Amino acid sequence: MSKQSLEAKVEPELIRQWIQEIGSDSSAAVPLLQSIQKKYGYLPRKAMDLVVAGTEINASQLYGVATFYAQFRLTPVGRHLIKVCHGTACHVSGADRVNTSLRHILGITDEAEDTADNGSYTVENVACIGCCSLAPVMVVGTEAFPNLKGADAQRFLSKHAASVGEHLPGKSGDGDAVESGSAMEAHA
Amino acid sequence: MSEQAMVITIGEGTCGIAAGAKEVTELLVKRFPAAVIRHVGCLGMCHQEVMVEIAHNGWSTLYGNVTKKNIPKIVRYYQGAAPQPDGIVIRSHPTDQPAPETEKNSYLTRQTRIALRNVGQLDPTSLEQYRSRNGYQAIEKIIRSGMTPEQVIEEVKISNLRGRGGAGFPTAIKWGFARSAPGDLKYLVCNGDEGDPGAFMDRSLLEGDPHNVLEGMLIAAYAIGASKGYAYIRAEYPLAVEYFGKAMADARQAGYLGKHILGSDFSFDLKIKEGAGAFVCGEETALLASIEGQRGMPRIRPPFPAIKGVFGKPTVINNVETLSNLAWIINNGGAAYAAIGTEKSKGTKVFALAGAVARGGLVEIPMGMSIRQLLEEIGGGSKSGRPLKAVQLGGPSGGCIPASMFDTPIEYEAINATGAIMGSGGMVVMDEKACMVDLARYFLEFTQLESCGKCTFCRIGTLRMKELLNKICAGEGEMSDLDLLAELAPQIKTASLCGLGQTAPNPVLTTLDYFRDEYIAHIKDKRCPGGVCKALITHTIIQKECTGCSICERYCPVDAIEGTLKKPETWVIDQQVCINCGMCAEVCNPEAILVQ
Repeated sequence: MSKQSLEAKVEPELIRQWIQEIGSDSSAAVPLLQSIQKKYGYLPRKAMDLVVAGTEINASQLYGVATFYAQFRLTPVGRHLIKVCHGTACHVSGADRVNTSLRHILGITDEAEDTADNGSYTVENVACIGCCSLAPVMVVGTEAFPNLKGADAQRFLSKHAASVGEHLPGKSGDGDAVESGSAMEAHA
Repeated sequence: MSEQAMVITIGEGTCGIAAGAKEVTELLVKRFPAAVIRHVGCLGMCHQEVMVEIAHNGWSTLYGNVTKKNIPKIVRYYQGAAPQPDGIVIRSHPTDQPAPETEKNSYLTRQTRIALRNVGQLDPTSLEQYRSRNGYQAIEKIIRSGMTPEQVIEEVKISNLRGRGGAGFPTAIKWGFARSAPGDLKYLVCNGDEGDPGAFMDRSLLEGDPHNVLEGMLIAAYAIGASKGYAYIRAEYPLAVEYFGKAMADARQAGYLGKHILGSDFSFDLKIKEGAGAFVCGEETALLASIEGQRGMPRIRPPFPAIKGVFGKPTVINNVETLSNLAWIINNGGAAYAAIGTEKSKGTKVFALAGAVARGGLVEIPMGMSIRQLLEEIGGGSKSGRPLKAVQLGGPSGGCIPASMFDTPIEYEAINATGAIMGSGGMVVMDEKACMVDLARYFLEFTQLESCGKCTFCRIGTLRMKELLNKICAGEGEMSDLDLLAELAPQIKTASLCGLGQTAPNPVLTTLDYFRDEYIAHIKDKRCPGGVCKALITHTIIQKECTGCSICERYCPVDAIEGTLKKPETWVIDQQVCINCGMCAEVCNPEAILVQ
């Protein structure tokens, strides 16, 4: 599987149903986009066109809102999403290293990219998720991993990948759990 | 043993869950099938997660750092087969007596918990449990005793409660403006868009005691005469959204929310609006624009939201923590609240304590406690043993207070005088391994990204400041850059419309003031004293410490390390290839990587 297969197939009935439920005036813009993103992981162009066609919200407002808020993205997301927290506490305790290490094991070398070539994972840097005393933290799917070192991040991801049947395209430092076992204890 | 009497309480806030609370709960349910399991919010001792309290035969024990590994030990103790497990008991005392002060427990006993009084004590999804702890008594008192809105405002005025979102504007005065504003339809908005990186007070309050926030909203709505409201909660806090929604539904069912509350003429209902991730939306007028479905850009005040707010109607926006104090104030009287604190800063303040401190978590302290007391008596001092260097207060809008000023009392005026701000409560502690220039750069990068772009000085000025800081961190700085930073800062402050731009230079100004020597070390000596800035450090292998295990080679993301297995003398890092990411130093067990 590749990145191309990540494009979402938008179901027009679903968008119309949300408009019915949430509303079609200007104040519905954010919640409508949130529903779309929750379903598809990003904002497909077609879904946004349907919102413009079915509400009072015009294209410039909708696109303006979609590009203003950090939550929204316009490009497809990998089959699994990793959020790396970059709050202050995580920053001073090594969030950057977690990021470097994850991108390495996923083989993402292009700085402008955030998704592995095989479409498995997307690494997203997010503002504080509010677990500052457990910094650094990453969230894979809905599961949070606390007190991470760069090496732990790789191990947790390897474990996650094995459990969901994904292949990690990059190079991993795994296979030495004995020597650096201390790093694992945080989560054990 | 009679398991009927056993009650197991487990902290299941976001941080508890992140630390593995679900797994612990599952195991405990299996091992103590007859026990009553209570799920509560975060007790605030994040450094001790997962936390479990077991009450059995009139004796209560609070355990910290519970993992699946030490559960068998706890089980054996309750089977009478072993003594209390070592190291994980925080406190243990008869259920009908208050907890004794132990070293680990001082984290809790040194606090004064008003806003947080129920957090970690009750199941946030249970209206009954909230009611059993004086819940909804304040709003009942107001309605049943026929208190007028003016009397409610007066009570809060006596308490001298100031907005806990950061700026510290007196709550009663804000309410007074909206109360006297003409118009039939008024709005009350709960600002739960906690965007400061390094802060999680609002999350814990919304997750751990949502009914208290809701009751605070009812009191505020009654005072200003609002019939509609919004709870604006960050989408990054799914548990808070879920629990607050449940609290709303239960309160509506019980007659606390909706039309004719408790049979009176007072009607109030609200909707949840999930924030979509924009720091600027913490600013009142930007938040209102966001509720209306626009880009969250602030507008010129006046008119203030109290006169012309959401959809053009008079609106009061109160922070989650502010609201969490209200029920207590009505129940105990404004004077009781004002009895705590200092002359100008009354009551308590909640802080999210994190970073290089031994005991991090959520703390609520009386105003006037010194930073040192908070860090040492509650926070347990430095985690690493290295001396503490500074605390960062107020996030991107705040500043760094150096260790030499740790005796500063925590109150609005004294904190402002240092150049930092009280802020909403983020407190990140740093030891000697932190780089203050890098920290300033981090915050500028944040504000620059989050600037909505409306004001030129905020949009471009912060970018220029960030470029200068990047240059200094890269070892290419000149002394004149410091003058340029000092020149830009006041310009950005005066030429920006909202709090974001007006405070954005604070992290730079305070570090320039208190840690100028670090800037100079970066510029003149091309040295990063904290060992953080990648361009100014090198990683090398100390061959006499090295065991030749090859772990660094395997983790190096750029293949900069080479050597022969078990031959320490052969291992080297290619400095041309190394990106100084620090992975090798992190994985090396014998600490054979030299960072300088």
